[in-house]
Amino acid sequence: MAGADAAQARLLFENRLRGSPRGRLKLAAILCGVLLFYIVCWRLAQVDPVKLVNGLPKLGHWLAQAWPPNLAELPLFGLRIAETVAMAAIGTTIATLLAIPMAVLASRNITPLPRLYYPARWFLNALRGIDSFVFALLFVAAVGLGPFAGVLGIALHTWGSAAKFFADHIENAQLGPLEAVRTTGAGRGTAIVFALLPDILPVLLSTTLFWWEFNVRASTVLGVVGAGGIGLELKNSMDLLDFPRLFTIIALILIVVTMLDQLSGWLRKRLV
Amino acid sequence: MTTARSLFEVRGAGKAFNGRPAIDDVSFGVRRGEFVAVLGPSGAGKTTLFRCLAGLTTMDSGSALLNGRDVAAFKGRERRHIAVVFQQFNLVSRLTALQNVLAGRLGYVPAWRGWLRQFSRADLLLAFECLDRVGLLAHAAQRADTLSGGQQQRVAIARALAQRPDVIIADEPVASLDPRIGAGILELLRAICHGDAEGVAVICSLHQPQFARQFADRIVGMAAGRIVVDMAAATFTENALHAVYGSDIETPVAAHSGVPEPEFA
Repeated sequence: MAGADAAQARLLFENRLRGSPRGRLKLAAILCGVLLFYIVCWRLAQVDPVKLVNGLPKLGHWLAQAWPPNLAELPLFGLRIAETVAMAAIGTTIATLLAIPMAVLASRNITPLPRLYYPARWFLNALRGIDSFVFALLFVAAVGLGPFAGVLGIALHTWGSAAKFFADHIENAQLGPLEAVRTTGAGRGTAIVFALLPDILPVLLSTTLFWWEFNVRASTVLGVVGAGGIGLELKNSMDLLDFPRLFTIIALILIVVTMLDQLSGWLRKRLV
Repeated sequence: MTTARSLFEVRGAGKAFNGRPAIDDVSFGVRRGEFVAVLGPSGAGKTTLFRCLAGLTTMDSGSALLNGRDVAAFKGRERRHIAVVFQQFNLVSRLTALQNVLAGRLGYVPAWRGWLRQFSRADLLLAFECLDRVGLLAHAAQRADTLSGGQQQRVAIARALAQRPDVIIADEPVASLDPRIGAGILELLRAICHGDAEGVAVICSLHQPQFARQFADRIVGMAAGRIVVDMAAATFTENALHAVYGSDIETPVAAHSGVPEPEFA
């Protein structure tokens, strides 16, 4: 009997592979749809290879002008980069601290207020959907120019991303230990801190490090909207067409980001 | 049997899922210092019953009374009176054996001690004592996930002891362990309920009749959500076994020799 079943299954499978006329029509329709999508996108994005070919010499010319690097302003650049790293560190830390209670609220399996589960998820999605750059733009208007606006922008956007990530992690966690600790008479909060936190803490710390590193990269541009950091000098250089200065800054960003990348990678490996 | 008043009393417990009764009109009592085994095939309703007794699920009908008080009304810290031992041990894997045992004190201490994992000297001493009781004092500082299955279940029992409970509810505590290690766990549970001055009662679900006969004082047999047998373990006969498992069961009740010697430490 099992042999006959297997043979039948194989037959069905082969039929599906060969495809019926209707199946082929469907495939053609899908291919047409995908093609159309890319044609429309190409048009909307105004892709023009000719412009790129014409622009490349210009870039090359700038690059040629960039040497020697502008080292006179190195202390200023150092300060601005430190500002960028600090903005990312404070913003990410605030975001993580806010994300923990929010993640509990947005985890279907442990939320103390099930009615707020969907509102909490929507709220986090909204935070996640708005980039820190956009938040920073708003906060520059609200709290004025400077790195603090950048901190707030980073914190809000990362809050949404971090809380959603933690919540997804909690929803997949083993809840046996939590249940067991609850039966000892521990309160809900105590049980979560005692039984759940130790298991999610390494993940929590390592993702926080990852976001910090990510936010350093992201916040290099926050200065462009006046929210502090190295981006401000980047924009000034571009506006003045001061290419030695511009490329010095870019090189500096690359060095610092690479170093942070290595550091956070090393720390994360030690945590897990 | 003596007629001492029941410490823990289940009266007409019933629970249905999607209209299908998982347990139906279950009643039995447990005295101080008594080891009751609940026996039955898979799907007999043991786990549902135990989750109701432990207050992890609410019953649709009936009640479970501890010292005359309905356990369904136990809120927060009162739950410490009923300790639960799980099939999957349910230790916090990244905490040490000692810290896991100290979880048993969370129903006594102020919340901040739990949050910071800072316990008083008395609680620490008690936790060490409980670990010693289960033979794992030397492993106190070891992380729970580095312990063997049998050791993890012993830590879980130590956590239960640290609660200073009136009753320990053990749901298939040996189902995930090999028989030799499992016998050691049951020996320990029996020693706790027979030896301790305070007289903890143990209600333990099992699916091996030999284990129930060897370690329990009384056997409650369940089939299809109902109690079909409730008798002293010594008088648990082949007829009783058939009532629980059906007449086509192959395990002879006399297969006592199939149970290896319990393992200690």
